[in-house]
Amino acid sequence: MNTFTVKDLMVPLSEYATVPLGTTLFEAMLALEKAQEEFDHTKYKHRGILILDDSKRVIGKLSHLHALSALEPKADESSSIKELGQFGFSSGFIRGLRKKRRLQEAPLSDLCRKAVELKVEDFMHITAEDEFIDHAATLDMAIHQLVQEKLLALLVTRDGRTIGILRVADVFAAVYHHMTECTLEQEGL
Amino acid sequence: MKALQALFDRIVQRVNINLRELAIDVRPYVDGLVPFEQLTKFYAFYGVTPHHALDLQFRKSSLAGSYFLGKCCATGSILYKTDIRGDELKKEGDIYSYKTFNIAISEDEAIRIQDSLLVKTLVHNFSHDPETLENFFITNTVSLHYANIHGSPTDGSYLGPFATVDLTTMNDCVIGAFSYIQAGEIGHLDIEPGTVWVRNPDQFNFLYRYPQEKLRPYIHFAAGQTPHGVLMDFVEQRKEAFQHVFEKVNLEPVVVPDTSSLDRFAVIKPKTIIRENVLVAQRAYLENAYLGKGANAQENCYIINSRLEGNNVTAHGGKIIEADLEPNVFVGFNSFLYGRPGSRLTIGQDCIIMPHTIIDIQQPLAIPAGHLVWGLVTGQADLATNSIPLEALSEVKDSQCVGDMYFEGDGGRFVKAFRDRIHHILEANGAFYDGSNHKGHAQKNQNISFNTIQPYPEGEFKGLYPTIVIRP
Repeated sequence: MNTFTVKDLMVPLSEYATVPLGTTLFEAMLALEKAQEEFDHTKYKHRGILILDDSKRVIGKLSHLHALSALEPKADESSSIKELGQFGFSSGFIRGLRKKRRLQEAPLSDLCRKAVELKVEDFMHITAEDEFIDHAATLDMAIHQLVQEKLLALLVTRDGRTIGILRVADVFAAVYHHMTECTLEQEGL
Repeated sequence: MKALQALFDRIVQRVNINLRELAIDVRPYVDGLVPFEQLTKFYAFYGVTPHHALDLQFRKSSLAGSYFLGKCCATGSILYKTDIRGDELKKEGDIYSYKTFNIAISEDEAIRIQDSLLVKTLVHNFSHDPETLENFFITNTVSLHYANIHGSPTDGSYLGPFATVDLTTMNDCVIGAFSYIQAGEIGHLDIEPGTVWVRNPDQFNFLYRYPQEKLRPYIHFAAGQTPHGVLMDFVEQRKEAFQHVFEKVNLEPVVVPDTSSLDRFAVIKPKTIIRENVLVAQRAYLENAYLGKGANAQENCYIINSRLEGNNVTAHGGKIIEADLEPNVFVGFNSFLYGRPGSRLTIGQDCIIMPHTIIDIQQPLAIPAGHLVWGLVTGQADLATNSIPLEALSEVKDSQCVGDMYFEGDGGRFVKAFRDRIHHILEANGAFYDGSNHKGHAQKNQNISFNTIQPYPEGEFKGLYPTIVIRP
């Protein structure tokens, strides 16, 4: 088990769905849907897509939740309402304001316009430093990073470039198989 | 000047210790902001009248260009061109009412400033904190250009340029530039620039926040810079006129009615008319201004090419240019009402212009009588999102949002609180004086004698004042 390294378990980047910066919300959702369809049919199962910059570096991730969040009212307005709490406004007042803003925004009523206007960089998850791991790192280190940072996947790098994705499901499967094997050995089977 | 530098460092350190929870370092904001050489150039001065207490104590402090009236004490502090106006402090034996309590004042109230740096700041009114009614303290605090500390005991806080804290006890807070806070009691808050917040817990809560990008042209202050923007330019352009009144001992007399008070440290330009019961405080600037009966111009007010018809309150720092105000208009702290020749601003009777309002117009604008106005107004269209008839606001029982203004609570109480306060201000200023009753500042602040005090001119203590105690 200890001999496993990250590169042994990762999904190569080439197997993953990617889109470039500038992709519209509609195009991103098409790519997501395609990834979903292939979820049950390919060796490497994945639900999300990755965002690449002009030099093909991974700079963000996109899931169903991120795509839906693009339809939400602007984050600054939302945080502006949230801040009212520190000024002594009641929770009832803040809830009422949110509801009113929500009704005014009507996110689904303007779906077609948003589909072509919104760009993937407006709503993608920007990858942080703690989401990367070197390809030569041990599985122990990968587990530690996934657990500590509460992540579902790590981006695997070699010489500073992203070469694959290490998913928590694959790590779990490796641990499971190892655990099964040693339990059977202990029972002399 | 070693002692002055050590004092400055000590104050900054004490403020930073208090603000550590907010991770604020005030040093980059204040380093070099007031060149120490300036602190040796200007005398400090104090007023003597038969109507006010005379009890001043200065220890280990620099007081350049600052003014004191009443019972004040400065220890280990740097006060630069700051006004400490103690003409509304409580007196021994007064009864202060707070909720169900009637609290007897045990000794004359004092303004006590310790370990603080106040730059061009106004300190006025009295402590509204029922726990410290005899002690209006300002400790471990930095306040910058044209800030107002009004009836607000303050500890461990930072006030940016043109910030106002009013009738609020404040601990360990950062108040951004051009923010106005009247909230009773606050602690450990970091308030962003351009916040206008008026709260009376369990009664009402008013909040407006300037969009930062729209406030920036008017006032902007960042670490390592001096405050800049339209507001700073406006006052800087008129600075020379004040140098004249501060440098000259005998000024050309300006005749005002017997019931009015014109401070000798105010600037009066030609074509200015001052009627009865008018109060013009020091550092006020009047040019081609008409102040009708009972009107006033407080510290750092500028009234230019404008008419105030009577009983108009222009609170500290209010600026009125090319405007016509009908009777009983209230203009709040640091408001900037900027009409233009040919594009005058008219404000109807009984309007309340909220503190820290900016009206900057290129076309004529008339604000109807009986309206509350707030925030940034650049033309007629903005009135839809930045004003409300007082009558309509009085009907609000739950909440009301207009534009970027949030209101929760009882609108009637909010309007009444403002009207009561305006009435109190007029009364305190002597606007209702009838020849025998209702004397106020306009009558009591006449014929003030001014004495000057000076710092060490050179040596280790250069810029600091010796210990001075002044009593009758």
